[in-house]
Amino acid sequence: MMQDYIMFTGVNILLAWSVYIILMSGSLSFANGAFMLIGAYVSGVLTVKFGVPLLVAAPIAGAATFLFGVLVGFPALRTRGIYLILVTVGIAVSVRGVAESIPYIGGVQGFSGMSGGNPWHVVALVFGVGAALWAVSRSPLQRILDAVREDELAAATLGINIVHVKLTCFGIGAGLAAVAGSFYAHYMLHVTPDGFGILVSVYIVLYVVLGGTNNLWGSAVGAAIMTLLPELVRGVAQWRPTVFGLTIIALLLLRPDGLLAFRIPTVPTVRPPGKARPSGQGQDVARTDETPEQR
Amino acid sequence: MLLEQIINGIVLGSMYALIAQGYTLVFGVLDKLNFAHSEIFMLGGFLAVASVALGAPLPVAFLVTAGISGLLGLMVEFVGFRKFRSRDAHITAALSSFAIGLVMIDLAQKIWGTEAVAIALPDEMRIASIEFFGIRIVLIKLAILALSLGLMFVLHLVVARTGLGRSIRAVAESAADAALYGVNVTRVTQLVFFIASALAGVAGMALAIRTGYANSETGFSFGLKALAIMAIGGMGDLRGAFLGGLLVGVLEALAFQWAVGQLADVAVWLFMIFVLLVRPQGLFGASGAKDTRA
Repeated sequence: MMQDYIMFTGVNILLAWSVYIILMSGSLSFANGAFMLIGAYVSGVLTVKFGVPLLVAAPIAGAATFLFGVLVGFPALRTRGIYLILVTVGIAVSVRGVAESIPYIGGVQGFSGMSGGNPWHVVALVFGVGAALWAVSRSPLQRILDAVREDELAAATLGINIVHVKLTCFGIGAGLAAVAGSFYAHYMLHVTPDGFGILVSVYIVLYVVLGGTNNLWGSAVGAAIMTLLPELVRGVAQWRPTVFGLTIIALLLLRPDGLLAFRIPTVPTVRPPGKARPSGQGQDVARTDETPEQR
Repeated sequence: MLLEQIINGIVLGSMYALIAQGYTLVFGVLDKLNFAHSEIFMLGGFLAVASVALGAPLPVAFLVTAGISGLLGLMVEFVGFRKFRSRDAHITAALSSFAIGLVMIDLAQKIWGTEAVAIALPDEMRIASIEFFGIRIVLIKLAILALSLGLMFVLHLVVARTGLGRSIRAVAESAADAALYGVNVTRVTQLVFFIASALAGVAGMALAIRTGYANSETGFSFGLKALAIMAIGGMGDLRGAFLGGLLVGVLEALAFQWAVGQLADVAVWLFMIFVLLVRPQGLFGASGAKDTRA
């Protein structure tokens, strides 16, 4: 039981970070459930059919999905905002559909035979990725990401290669989701394409939104709360989608930056820390008067 | 046989088109995706089932379904979109509407269960058919086709010919300019949500009557596909959504005929991605400045 909690919390934190990494460069991905699926299946095929140990298979799956993410992301990131959201929804649906129609990996029935998923590997990974993200948040890299997210045009005039930044983030996010998917699959022993549907991707995104989109601890806390709360509080488990949905709506309306809305300052700033400038998400109704042509 | 499948496809496509009209209306006015739309479509099926079960004749059930769905649309607008009107808020609006959709699915499952619920219509009504040049057509499909085509024609007339339609087009062009000319932007937005959601509810009712069941999963399986169709037809383009719906419906029926139905879903979404990358203004859209906005 305890092992389950640790495993699922760890996997969900990794997944939340995989969305957070993509979000750092200003793109929202509803495809991370699909990346998780690819990771689960690639590593599963490697360990079951080729006898590769999991600790080797998981990084391979991550790398493969990184490449997949870059390949899909390269054209997809040409589109922006709302179009990109649509494209990622399309990726999520398509990947699942394709997986369901390949007999080699079990089709709709799913794929089994994996074993050896160890919760402590995931915990180690959470600490590793967390440390890496923390290091990034203290480094100049974070300022580049902030610039790209807040204003692409301004970032481009400063000589930042926007496509490069966004693509790297998209690929790394995809790869991380795949690694999380590998460990998840080898813990669950049996996976079906249905288990990585669009709903999974939506949940991952909402973990991040719940915790706070502008720093890495928020995503982790959001994922941990939403994983553990239904397990620990009896009533919540039954009403999980409703509780979750209403919480998200309330949060977006009352506290648009999420529960833990602070930003780790990389340099001393003139504006007070914690009260970061509006992160480009909602609230300022006054700006409706910007016509499409002005963009 | 082939002709019969094509007719089936057109009926299916008219339901897709009906939902896609709602997506595209909202997108046209607000530049936002309404992810709760597919769940209002899903609830429409249950509302029809419930009102028929309470003994309402079909026309009454139609009005009840359309009306309640429309009111739900107003709720979605108020909760999920009213506060997120800025142009930069499309991510926030997508998330909030997705969250509303989650709640709707969960509530529907709590009320009606996770299994499909049968609609209490007499069998002779569901299978009555006529011969037509040697083709057997189920009457109820014809009725669905006539109803959805009729509704879309009325919608077209309203948008193209009436004062209300002019306000809708004005807000779609530029909310700020429309407001300067005295258009009540909030009221127009509410109306658009009401119309869009009522149409989605009617489409849900049509699907429930056609298949005989209402199901809490149709939102994701059926309704969301209309979103892809909307993008294929051109976001914010009513005519494109209509043509795209029919096209996808027919192609899907043919795919099932040729036993590649499983991949039809994937094909629709891949085609949408392709269209968005190569021709973001949509398959049928003219390449104007209005359509190239991001």
